[in-house]
Amino acid sequence: MVALEVSGLRKHYGSIRALEDVSFTVGRGEVFGYLGPNGAGKTTTLRILAGLVRADGGQALLLGRRAGDAAGRATVGYLPGDLALYGSMTGQALLDTFARFRPSRPPVLRARLLAALRLEARDLARRSKFLSHGTRQKLGLVIAMQHDPELLLLDEPTNGLDPLVQRAFRELILDRAAQGRAILFSSHVLSEVEAVCARVAVLGAGRVLALETIEALRARLVRRMQVRFRGAPPPDLARTPGVVACEIEGLEARLQIRGDVNPLLQRLARAEVDHLVFPEPELEDVFLGYFGPEGSRS
Amino acid sequence: MNLLRHVASRHARFVLSLGVLLGAFQFLICAAVSSVNVGGALETLVRSLPPLFQNLVASQLLGGFSPSGLIAFGWNHPVAHALGAAIAIVLATRAIAGAIELLLSQPLSRRSYFGGHVVFAVLSVVSVSALGILGTALGQRVFGMERFGIAALLRLAGNYAALQAAVYGITLLVSSFGREAGPVSSTGYLLVVLSYFAEAIGRIWSRAAWILPWTLHDYFRPQTILVDQGGILRPLAVLGAVALAGASLAWARFRTRDLP
Repeated sequence: MVALEVSGLRKHYGSIRALEDVSFTVGRGEVFGYLGPNGAGKTTTLRILAGLVRADGGQALLLGRRAGDAAGRATVGYLPGDLALYGSMTGQALLDTFARFRPSRPPVLRARLLAALRLEARDLARRSKFLSHGTRQKLGLVIAMQHDPELLLLDEPTNGLDPLVQRAFRELILDRAAQGRAILFSSHVLSEVEAVCARVAVLGAGRVLALETIEALRARLVRRMQVRFRGAPPPDLARTPGVVACEIEGLEARLQIRGDVNPLLQRLARAEVDHLVFPEPELEDVFLGYFGPEGSRS
Repeated sequence: MNLLRHVASRHARFVLSLGVLLGAFQFLICAAVSSVNVGGALETLVRSLPPLFQNLVASQLLGGFSPSGLIAFGWNHPVAHALGAAIAIVLATRAIAGAIELLLSQPLSRRSYFGGHVVFAVLSVVSVSALGILGTALGQRVFGMERFGIAALLRLAGNYAALQAAVYGITLLVSSFGREAGPVSSTGYLLVVLSYFAEAIGRIWSRAAWILPWTLHDYFRPQTILVDQGGILRPLAVLGAVALAGASLAWARFRTRDLP
């Protein structure tokens, strides 16, 4: 069942095309990744969905209601990417204030969220202007999720969270999805989208470049490897299956690999390797996967 | 109702503080007028000033140096204007700033949001005016001065509230186009200062008198109310119209604009 349906969304700021023909759906029980670099149009999309920005074209239905329908937002949770809180209010006052706007949806998840995100009573007793960026982000997450929304719109939710809290947050997200909640998870960090999302839309320059399952995205990823050899690098390295680009400089080779890495690892096993770096894939690697090393669409 | 409660919890202390200050200021004006021969001292002082400055002081003391005229001067004093304008400008600036993105992502329509802020602002300027009037009434009573009638005090409160409502309406209009609070409040204060000085210049320099109807402060007439016992229907209508036009245009912009 579809919780969020976005079709042909368009938004221009003067001559700047923030969004062009953006379409995707998010089902109930699904965590949907919305991946793109800064300025790709992620925040604009989420602001349109939250009713803050008017689209120039297309439409968005949230739980069957048009974006901008105030009453429909009772069952939606939203975390802005650029979170602003009332600095003079304490954390506790903020949670209570925002809970009061949804009298029909009590903050049933608050206690659980506070525990998972490690928000202590002393944090809640302080004015928000004296809290760290990470703690304010945690407050934003509790405000967005405390009423157990049917649809959750999260714009860069792990921004400022430490790794332990990020992990706890991912578990929370997966748990809410298991309870049938739909989650739109916007991020520019590939690894966190990979960790929680089943499907993903890759956004670039305001357009959806790809709409794939995470498995399909992984298969298209172009990963990078840097190898330093003790002797001369093997001359046939560039012809190894899976290697799409190979740049050799002295004893060092910089490789780009798509798909199965085993043929390359087997080839390297026959050579004298001094040092090897195989970093976690990043967003840039996704774009390499779609546009190729030279920038042409592959 | 939740929004009104939220706005009140954020601003009530600020509004109340400035209202109490205005009341205290008006009370002190009464104290000064009753205990010192302020009129005589001012008359002596004015006679020693160059003609231009004599005109300036006279423009602020149209009611003469009588106790009523000096109390009217207290209401036209820059401190009284600054306190009222501060409330109007701060409320208008904060209406469309801060955590507005998070607030409007709640099940709250823009109409309710905007309406809630305007209602609170109206209640605020009325309350502050009432506290100021209370200061004057209390001062007259405590210091045994001749008291103004209730109708005059109500007219004065209405005129003062209407002036601040007009300042609020204009600043709200600026705020509806702005994205940051700083430039919006600066514009609000600049408009108030310009209006105040333009009105003063229009009064002391006959060739600049044409500017008077274009200043907000020309429509605030404590001397007319307290000294001449005159009506202020037209000033009230003009200030009310400015406030209404400002708020209406601000709403027209706010209901369709992208936020934040």
